[in-house]
Amino acid sequence: MTDPRTNQLIDEAMKMRLSRRSVMRRASALGISAGALGGVLAATGHAKATPNAAVYIQERTMNTLAATYFVPEGQTFFTQVAEDWASQNNVTITTDYIGWPDLQPRIAAAVEGGSGPDIIEMWDIWPYLYQEKMVPVQDLAEKVGEQYGGYYDWVTSTASVDGQWYSVPHGSSSSAFAFRISLLEEAGIEDPKNNFPKTWEELFTLGKTLKEMGKPIGQALGQSLGDPPSFAYPYMWAYGGMEVEEDGTTPAINKPEFVEALQAFTQSWKDAFDETGLSWDDGANNRAFLSDQISMTLNGSSVYLAAVAAKEGESTLDYEVQVEPDDIWHAGYPEGPAGRYNVLGSRSYAAMNYSPNADAAVEFLDYFFSPEIFLPWLEVQGGYIIPMAPGYAEDEMYTGNPSLAPYPEVSDYSRNRGYAGPANQKAAESSARYVVVNTFAQAIQSGDAAGAIAQAEAQLRRIYG
Amino acid sequence: MSVITAEAEPEPGRKAVVRRAKVRFWDREAPLAYLFMIPGLLILLLFMGYPFFLGIYLSLTDKMVGFADFSWVGLENYQLLLEDPVFHRTVANTLIYSVVTVPFKLVLGLGLALVLNQTFRFSRFVRAGLLLPWIVPTAISSLAWLMLFDSVLSPISWVLREWGLIQNNINFLGDRWNAIGAVCVANIWRGLPFFAISILAGLQAVSPELHEAAALDGASAWQRFLSVTLPTIRNILLITTLFSIIFTFSDFQLIYVLTKGGPASSTHVFGTYAYQTMGFSALGQAAAIALSMLPFLALFAGILLREIRKED
Repeated sequence: MTDPRTNQLIDEAMKMRLSRRSVMRRASALGISAGALGGVLAATGHAKATPNAAVYIQERTMNTLAATYFVPEGQTFFTQVAEDWASQNNVTITTDYIGWPDLQPRIAAAVEGGSGPDIIEMWDIWPYLYQEKMVPVQDLAEKVGEQYGGYYDWVTSTASVDGQWYSVPHGSSSSAFAFRISLLEEAGIEDPKNNFPKTWEELFTLGKTLKEMGKPIGQALGQSLGDPPSFAYPYMWAYGGMEVEEDGTTPAINKPEFVEALQAFTQSWKDAFDETGLSWDDGANNRAFLSDQISMTLNGSSVYLAAVAAKEGESTLDYEVQVEPDDIWHAGYPEGPAGRYNVLGSRSYAAMNYSPNADAAVEFLDYFFSPEIFLPWLEVQGGYIIPMAPGYAEDEMYTGNPSLAPYPEVSDYSRNRGYAGPANQKAAESSARYVVVNTFAQAIQSGDAAGAIAQAEAQLRRIYG
Repeated sequence: MSVITAEAEPEPGRKAVVRRAKVRFWDREAPLAYLFMIPGLLILLLFMGYPFFLGIYLSLTDKMVGFADFSWVGLENYQLLLEDPVFHRTVANTLIYSVVTVPFKLVLGLGLALVLNQTFRFSRFVRAGLLLPWIVPTAISSLAWLMLFDSVLSPISWVLREWGLIQNNINFLGDRWNAIGAVCVANIWRGLPFFAISILAGLQAVSPELHEAAALDGASAWQRFLSVTLPTIRNILLITTLFSIIFTFSDFQLIYVLTKGGPASSTHVFGTYAYQTMGFSALGQAAAIALSMLPFLALFAGILLREIRKED
């Protein structure tokens, strides 16, 4: 160990008996490479060393493209992994991370132009759209799946193209209600950790009280990939609305129960929600929550993890975090008359076939998904990315903090975009057009839920017809 | 030997005729003009003509990003747009965006140019500084506006709240009309210098003698402005307005950064809607959306250019 930072970290880890996750977070903060981290983990009794891969004789230049991480340690870790692998293999690699709504247009431009990133992070059902430009990775994806105990159904049904793998799934961020314990108590909820509203109606009633207290519910409903659909799809399904019936072609959004529920929601938006949420993207509700402007929001675990980081003096945010992590708890989705739902699709990494380095890109994916790299990458994100397979679902990162338990649980009641139809190209188009999200936003703006739903129905008929 | 030389060289008289013909040819304006235009024309054809005609072709197909197979669908993409409520809003928004911002930029730019045309201390410095909104990359200045309009951390909302004028943050970008107002303000801020500097250049070409003569004839400052200044800079005003309409119509960055076309696709303009459509792979439809702005631009350009020719 010649790098003084690694020695420092080993000392800290031994003296303070740091957990494996804490070691990795500190390593990320200190800028220690993934390879060196393997050594630190081994020295502190936490892990084995990282594997080596074949070395390319001719130098290559490669580029990866992914969505910006809401848990920055994960992004730093991925970059280090990529650079370590590159230095071992005579490759120069650059890693690009862009805003969530910008990712799909960027992929479309690369795919159509036939040049661009060698490795791309695909979201959800995008492989259906770009499969012709993705390298088939059936063997690798199956190997990775077997390694971790076999993919969950929600992963196979969203990230594969009818069972054929063009990318290797890595799980997904998921959503739950992050709420302020103290504010819910102030609103009259006894023991909010165990008494979070069970139905949407109860939630909106509580929200009314919270808004009267000056701390409304915050919900993003802008045109963004994460939080807006995470609310809109499950609420629609909970009241019987769907994009299409099981046949995959008949629009099923215009259901009387859903029309009524959406109309009720437009009133609740005024009574219980922060009304600026119509312009929020996936980051705005984090800012509102951590700046103490709202009492709860549907989000990934990133708000909690950001509060923890701020308390530990390691905040990377450009604003002051005003919420104590001990005051944050999480709850799963409420239910409606038609049941309890969540929308979920696995993200995945693809090697692109237009790339002259397609073979090297596949080898990088093989390296990345090895347990010595992949699991630390998940751990450093503190369970933000929920498991794609049961093989590591019981790891401490998912079970160690009871506050975060609702996140992996969402896969128990999740559905794909396009439900009750299958995940496919049509569902991807509907999602990219924000048909469902915009139905909510338009109903709020116009106050006419029936009109907004009728317009969505016409759009869905064009897409699925 | 002498015989061979005599056969190979043209007669002295014929030689002179050829030379005179060559001189006459190059003395005419047309051949020279075409010759000088060829490089520019080639560049235009390559970098503007090819994408333009490719765009027209794609708009008549069902081409999807990433899929090699596609077929000719004729005007189907345009027909779909006629039935698309988001496209209707897009057209309305683009017209509102242009109709609101261009007159503001014209009037404010003219006023600013008149002020800057006066000589005062640091006038050159102020003139240079005026260009800042125009020369700062739009993506960057849009991010600054995004911070100002942020629903959570907006300094405008913060100041007004601190002063007790409002209770909740202003919903700048979460309401259609607020959002359109916000992007219009940012657009006017960005486009104002273009008008001001262009008009200033025109004002500096106005002969002081004309003003002096009018003043001697008893014309007031307002009369001199109407009868001397305005007719002189008329064509500059028209051309600048035409350019501004084109820029505003095809704007993308400002609206994409501030609203991404939201909320509920209610602030899309042609550029952002085409971009979003391309994002979910429908390249043919995206091309049709982008090309739909052409008739509007052709109409505006036709009217303004006719006005300019009238003067000529």
